[in-house]
Amino acid sequence: MGLFSAMNASVSGMNAQANLLATVSENISNSNTTGYKQASTLFRDIVDQVGATGDYSAGGVTTLVRYNVAEQGGLSSTTSATDLAIQGNGFFLVDDSNGATYLTRAGSFVENSSGNLVNAAGYTLMGYSLAPGAGGVTLSSAGLTPVNINSTALIAAPSTAGTFTANLNSNAATLTGAPSFTNYTSKSSVIAYDSLGNPVTLDTVFSKTGANTWQIDVYDDAAPGTPLTTQTLTFDPSSGDLAPPSPTSLSIAVPGGVTASLNIASTTQLASSFAVSQATMDGNAPSQVKSVSISADGTLSYVFANGSQVAAYKIPLGNVISPDSLSNISGDVFQVNSDSGDLVIGVAGTGGLGLVQSSELENSTVDLATQLTDMIVAQRGYEANTKVFQTGSDLLAQLNNMLK
Amino acid sequence: MSLSSASNIAKSGLNTVSAETSFLSRNVTGASDTATYSRKIANVISSLDGSRVASVTRASNLAVFGNLLGATSASATQNAISAGLDTLNQTVGDVSSSSSSTTSNSTSPAALLSNFTNALQSYEASPSSVTLANSAVFAAATLAQGLNSAAATVNQVREQADSGIAASVQTINSLLAQFQTVNAQIVGGTATSADVTDLQDSRDNILSQLAQQIGITTTIGANGDMSIYTDSGVTLFQGGAARSVTFSSTHTYTAATSGNAVYADGIPITGSSAAMPIANGTIAGLATLRDSLSVTYQAQLDGIAGALINAFSETDQAAPGPDLPGLFTTQGATSLPTSTTGLAGQITVNPSVDPSQGGNALLLRDGGISDTANSDYTYNTTGDASYTARLSQLLAKLSATQTYSASGGITTSANLSDYAAASVSWLEAQRSNVSSQSNYQSTLLSTAGTALSNATGVNINDEMSKMLDLENSYSATAKLLTTIDGMFSMLMTDLGNLA
Repeated sequence: MGLFSAMNASVSGMNAQANLLATVSENISNSNTTGYKQASTLFRDIVDQVGATGDYSAGGVTTLVRYNVAEQGGLSSTTSATDLAIQGNGFFLVDDSNGATYLTRAGSFVENSSGNLVNAAGYTLMGYSLAPGAGGVTLSSAGLTPVNINSTALIAAPSTAGTFTANLNSNAATLTGAPSFTNYTSKSSVIAYDSLGNPVTLDTVFSKTGANTWQIDVYDDAAPGTPLTTQTLTFDPSSGDLAPPSPTSLSIAVPGGVTASLNIASTTQLASSFAVSQATMDGNAPSQVKSVSISADGTLSYVFANGSQVAAYKIPLGNVISPDSLSNISGDVFQVNSDSGDLVIGVAGTGGLGLVQSSELENSTVDLATQLTDMIVAQRGYEANTKVFQTGSDLLAQLNNMLK
Repeated sequence: MSLSSASNIAKSGLNTVSAETSFLSRNVTGASDTATYSRKIANVISSLDGSRVASVTRASNLAVFGNLLGATSASATQNAISAGLDTLNQTVGDVSSSSSSTTSNSTSPAALLSNFTNALQSYEASPSSVTLANSAVFAAATLAQGLNSAAATVNQVREQADSGIAASVQTINSLLAQFQTVNAQIVGGTATSADVTDLQDSRDNILSQLAQQIGITTTIGANGDMSIYTDSGVTLFQGGAARSVTFSSTHTYTAATSGNAVYADGIPITGSSAAMPIANGTIAGLATLRDSLSVTYQAQLDGIAGALINAFSETDQAAPGPDLPGLFTTQGATSLPTSTTGLAGQITVNPSVDPSQGGNALLLRDGGISDTANSDYTYNTTGDASYTARLSQLLAKLSATQTYSASGGITTSANLSDYAAASVSWLEAQRSNVSSQSNYQSTLLSTAGTALSNATGVNINDEMSKMLDLENSYSATAKLLTTIDGMFSMLMTDLGNLA
């Protein structure tokens, strides 16, 4: 019957408006929640009679609440390097205390007592360890381990490569006697590191043996008995540059370390005094982790007290075909379900995934002004529905009075 | 874009302006500290949600700073030499104050020589006068003492230079240790994008102090790591580690002593044997003073002393015996010295002729000073009171041309008084040369300092005008926030009133 159906429809309308008000309320309360995606209430009509021509029975309305998960929130900068935000698509992979994996964009990670990075909702950030012997970046959920920045470890790295660039004085007198550790034209030194991280001073000794011809000997300063390497350098008299067949790099077996390659390709012989313009060697002494830095591709590097950096973890991003269909769980995390599609893991910046921004947090996507206007709309809608209900009720009352 | 994001953007604007203001106030307070403070620059970038201070850099100019380091070293070199030459100059007195004659000053060897010659001439005029003989011997003793004290001063200057080098080496090692700490902090800070500008200032400050001691050049790597080399290319600091600078000091100097070389990274950087000698810095100046200038002056004094001993030697009058030292001798000498090295410090008047030591001054006229018991060396065999032959001979020898060692750096053939005068002029020439060099270098240093200050220092006027800009920007952003707030209250109240 039309009257009852009208009243039922208005009740469904009131329910729907109450749902809209509920999502507005949830949105406003989460307007400052990091990584929160605003909820929207979608209305859908219910038709009671199809193709009716005479009596009409009203259907009603039902609602569907959807989270706009794919919407990018604004980024605001912070001072902590482990505060992470994603610029673009994708989610961080996080585990709860039971080991179940979820997706989130709430990246306010801090180190907990065991060194793991945990966000405000207590979820642990997962990544791939780049340590030797670990599985590496497998891009599968099997190889994920908690990202640990416990900074008590000491790490040393032996030298493997370096660069030495100098100008040799073309006007230097030809050396009298055989070149040796104590008989030379010019001498410099470079610090290298052995496998245990001990500094080894390598003395680079240059001796002019003839016009445009020099001999370079590299000695271990601690034991300058025999040179670690000896090479003859010839220079092009028309340019002062190193000329073939001179070697462009020296292979030096660092005592106690590995064989390092020292690039000397830019060495020149010009009419200027001996001067070293570049002398670098990689490797580092045992050093403590001072801080971490996270690059846009999600590589987390340990920064040591001596300034050297070692990549320790790769923080991958996960994505699904339909992010808006992900199940929403408390703590701004999302769960993969059959509607959303399967989880795909990738490296930030590749395959349509966004970039990881360190020292940034993603703001809530809620806009207060929109929510306030929606609230008014819900209020008015609810009011209209009550009017319909009241009118229906009045009509029924009149019907009842007729029988008195 | 929404009202909430507008509010976020305004907030980031306020944060940025606040951060810039804090750098501005650092600049303003650092403005008076011209020696080390460089202007800090906040680099603002715009991002999706407003703007933020992405990094902090400082105004720097490597070339100008390099010039300043060079000028500092060169000036320090000249100052070190100048101070030593001033001390040496005490041996000749302040000649410039009495331009009339060097002889008016009784402390210079040349003046003492002239006094002695006069006394000897007076005695020659009346050879029987014991008083004149005594005063001639007294003048001789004064001359010998003058040479002794001049030689002692030279040794003292060398000792001071040596201990100065030792102190300088110690300073260099301690500065390099400080540098190592600051450099490590800069490298670590650069890796984490921290604000390292103040550390860079203090690193520059250490470099300036280091340049005082030793001439340096620097190179800088990608991660902020700096390497230091001496001006001759010897490594002082590389790969985050300081090389040791070593020196073993010599505490007592005589004319025969030669000081040790300074080693950096195992390579000698001072001295004649150094393959890679440094050109500038206090160490270079002190080494020049200790190993070159003082040694040359010492050789000149020794030359004077040697010539005096030779001129007053006595020959065997009876048999072809050896010549023996006469009026001037060295302690316990039984023959003429074969080498002049160190004679200036040892020369003394023979006790047998010195009345103050119980000797007989008349032996000057008679001869036999060398050995009073041996009459072979007596010229005045008859004891004639008016005998002048020996005195005339001595005066003739005194004004005769003699040869001197080339290590004196001045003429090798001249008479004694000319040689003594040449020695004084040599010292004065060195002093005036160093003094003009020193003036030139300090002018250069002050110019380089001004250039650096212009390039990297704080200009209060610029900062003040920047402050006004920031203030305007802040009030505009604040106004924006007020407007957004007004729009929200409109939503809250006006829409609420509709109900």
